[in-house]
Amino acid sequence: MAAMGKRTLKRPSLAEHWFPALGIVAAIFGYVFLVLPSLIVIPMSFGTGSELVFPPRSYSLELYRQYFQESTWMAVTGQSVKVGLATMAVSLVFGFSAAYGISRTNFRGKGLLTVFLLSPMFMPHIAMALAMYLYLSRLGLVGTTFGLVAAHTLVTVPFVIVTAFAGLRYVDRNLELAAATMGAGRLRIIWKVVLPLIVPSIIVASLFAFLLSFDEVVISYFISSVQSETLPVKMYSSIHWEISPVLAAISSLLTVLSFGACVAMSLLQRNDQ
Amino acid sequence: MTETMVRLEAVEKSYGAVHALAPTSLEIARGEFLTLLGPSGSGKTTILNLISGSVAATGGKIWIGGRDVTHLPSNRRELGMVFQNYALMPHMSVFENIGFPLRVRQYSEAEIRKKVHEVLEVIRLEGYANRKPKELSGGQQQRVAIARCLVYNPDLILMDEPLGALDKKLRDQLQLEIRRIHRTLGVTLLYVTHDQSEALVLSDRICLMNSGKVEQIGTPDELYFRPRTVFAADFLGDSNILDVSVVSNGKQAKLTTRSGFQIEGVQTSLSAPVAKVMIRPESLIVAEDGNKEPNTLTGLVEDITLAGGVVDIQVRLDNAETINVRRLTTRDFRATERGRPITLRVQPSDVVVLE
Amino acid sequence: MIAFIVPLAVFFAVFFVLPLALVVLASLFDPVLTGSNYQELFTSPLYLRVLRSTLEISGLSTVATLLIAYPVAYHLYKQPPRRRTLLMTLVLLPFWTSILVKSFAFTVLLGQDGIINNIARALFGQDTALKLLFNRPGVIIGMAHYLLPFMIFAILTSLLAQNRDLRRAAEVMGAGRLKIFRSITLPLSMPGIVAGCLICLVLSLGMFVTPALLGGPKDMMLANLVEMHVRQTLDWGLAAALTVLLIIMTGALSAIISHVRGGGLGSHG
Repeated sequence: MAAMGKRTLKRPSLAEHWFPALGIVAAIFGYVFLVLPSLIVIPMSFGTGSELVFPPRSYSLELYRQYFQESTWMAVTGQSVKVGLATMAVSLVFGFSAAYGISRTNFRGKGLLTVFLLSPMFMPHIAMALAMYLYLSRLGLVGTTFGLVAAHTLVTVPFVIVTAFAGLRYVDRNLELAAATMGAGRLRIIWKVVLPLIVPSIIVASLFAFLLSFDEVVISYFISSVQSETLPVKMYSSIHWEISPVLAAISSLLTVLSFGACVAMSLLQRNDQ
Repeated sequence: MTETMVRLEAVEKSYGAVHALAPTSLEIARGEFLTLLGPSGSGKTTILNLISGSVAATGGKIWIGGRDVTHLPSNRRELGMVFQNYALMPHMSVFENIGFPLRVRQYSEAEIRKKVHEVLEVIRLEGYANRKPKELSGGQQQRVAIARCLVYNPDLILMDEPLGALDKKLRDQLQLEIRRIHRTLGVTLLYVTHDQSEALVLSDRICLMNSGKVEQIGTPDELYFRPRTVFAADFLGDSNILDVSVVSNGKQAKLTTRSGFQIEGVQTSLSAPVAKVMIRPESLIVAEDGNKEPNTLTGLVEDITLAGGVVDIQVRLDNAETINVRRLTTRDFRATERGRPITLRVQPSDVVVLE
Repeated sequence: MIAFIVPLAVFFAVFFVLPLALVVLASLFDPVLTGSNYQELFTSPLYLRVLRSTLEISGLSTVATLLIAYPVAYHLYKQPPRRRTLLMTLVLLPFWTSILVKSFAFTVLLGQDGIINNIARALFGQDTALKLLFNRPGVIIGMAHYLLPFMIFAILTSLLAQNRDLRRAAEVMGAGRLKIFRSITLPLSMPGIVAGCLICLVLSLGMFVTPALLGGPKDMMLANLVEMHVRQTLDWGLAAALTVLLIIMTGALSAIISHVRGGGLGSHG
């Protein structure tokens, strides 16, 4: 083999030399692009009154005052919280019980059923918006909070199921078997054995469900009325028709909320594993 | 064979206050097969990583092929490496995998084709050039990985537990293959393993590692017959380690075991009043009678087990120490019954005084 | 055990199957039994134009997303785990941010007096005026921003799944970083790129908010057309037919995704 001769390495080419630096520059561009919109709204929210410029010419709490003092903004925020909490509760109960049932039994068509229950995840919101709109208008339920909660539950429940599956995978089924051999009934097993073990996934799923509902705009835009309007719907019209500076304050508050949610999620998911 | 290929000069690695490797100096001659042997966490992989350049040393200098590579990145060190999980590129054929280092070195297509086929012949996988790694058995994959190192003739080939993922039979086969390649091609090899028999079979020299330090370095014979420490005696091969008190020392030392037996004529320079000695189970000879001359031990057979070609006899010496004896298996080995008295004899040269 | 599944199954029957069935029926029967709704979709210039711009915008946004996402995913992959978790917050923050907040921010950022134009003026003179809002670039910027986290997750997953020893092996053999990237990292991350692009296509085909708020009249997508028919022309039959078309397109893509990922579920998962 020594007779084959040997060639040593050449100096790295120019492209080689610049590749790492270029990669980092491109990544930094990406990071800036990712966070710029979220961050830009915060300084703007401390601007004054009637014009939207960056950076603001002077700083004040004017826009926050406008938001908190105007009754329509407060009303839609209240409605969003109400719908979000109701959606969260309903989708938690439905989602977790279904996930538990599916993960603890075997039957024909189980895979198909699972795909079916998760399919709203892949469905464009506009499709569900139209479907719900046509359906609820037949039932005379357009504009009701009930309709909103039902539609939002459809959106959130697949995410709850996925989270529940992940949590239930870590529950050793032998624990349930052991409890059963000691004479515990099904409900007692769930209450005493399963639930305590999946608390982190329940919290994650709740956050998921609440935020998805709280941010949902397309379906709500179709099926809410002036009385049942949610915060995103009002924001949507407000951006569409006249960009009001108060949006900066609302956006900042929502950004803080999302930041809190994403910190909470990553903490919870780390503990979960 | 005396030209130095690799030299470590007081190389060390620490993570904060934790020493992964105490300052270590080591030389590997051109064409040598050196094995780093030790349990996990002993620092053998750290040495390998320091040489390969995937970990930076916190002190000392590393020389490869006469160049100071301490601050060179991996890809400028002219090394080859074989991994436990083969690390073949899954999306490339065998040919492309082996040709990769040549492409990096900008060989022409014709040269690449010629060299790859030559090396495929060396590892006896001529017909496999167009297969994907997935389509090969574990042993074949590892042979391709070895070929990938041979093809560009690096200064040093590192092998990180290359047989760890294979079953026993393939392991034995590939051991012989590696030995053959090393002997015929004269490559310099640094081999990492925790398997002592692998180290004994393959190496020119073994560097035994223990908790971040070199415990002992020498030929397989030296390590087997003259271990210097309890750890070395224990890690390589089976051993009986006995506490003794030194009656007289010097060239012809006289020792007494805890059970009161005398051992005379042992070579040691140790001047402590007590010591530990090692006797390999196979160097104890079962004697006929129970006479009390020196270098004789007596006791009762506690257990006897058939382990294939050898029979292991556990003997409880008169004063409660147990000692293992190993004999070649004979058809009548059951004649040595449990509970029977037994006499053992040992050559003073087979008694190794440990530090 | 089945009893645990029944409540959700009933809920789905009442609020998912029935409404969707109603859409299909409306597309066929509104106003009377007819195939004309579908026929119109594929013949009327308006619908063909919207269909084309939907595909164009989706495709371009996906490509733009891929180009921005890959360096970020690659950078994240090269970080030690703790720093990676930290930097992931920069990806997760927009993921969790309401699309309305983003759209609002972009109307401010991209406008005539927005930051981008201010910077451009500072660099290229007072006459510079980049039109970035209420047109194609605006929609694509907004969509790319929405899609980025999904693409980054998909690519990062496939990068992290690579055997790290492959890099080390290539490095020891003398390959530089660009060579390693081109001949190992990039080809092995193809499944992530494909999955990411498919997910982005599914998400962008049905996009409503971004084209409505950041696009102009020429950037109308299928979803916006549906809304127009429901809210303005009150032509439910056509809206339903458009929706069925959209469901078929995204459904087919989703089926491919779960096939590619070996049954992996969910863009958010």
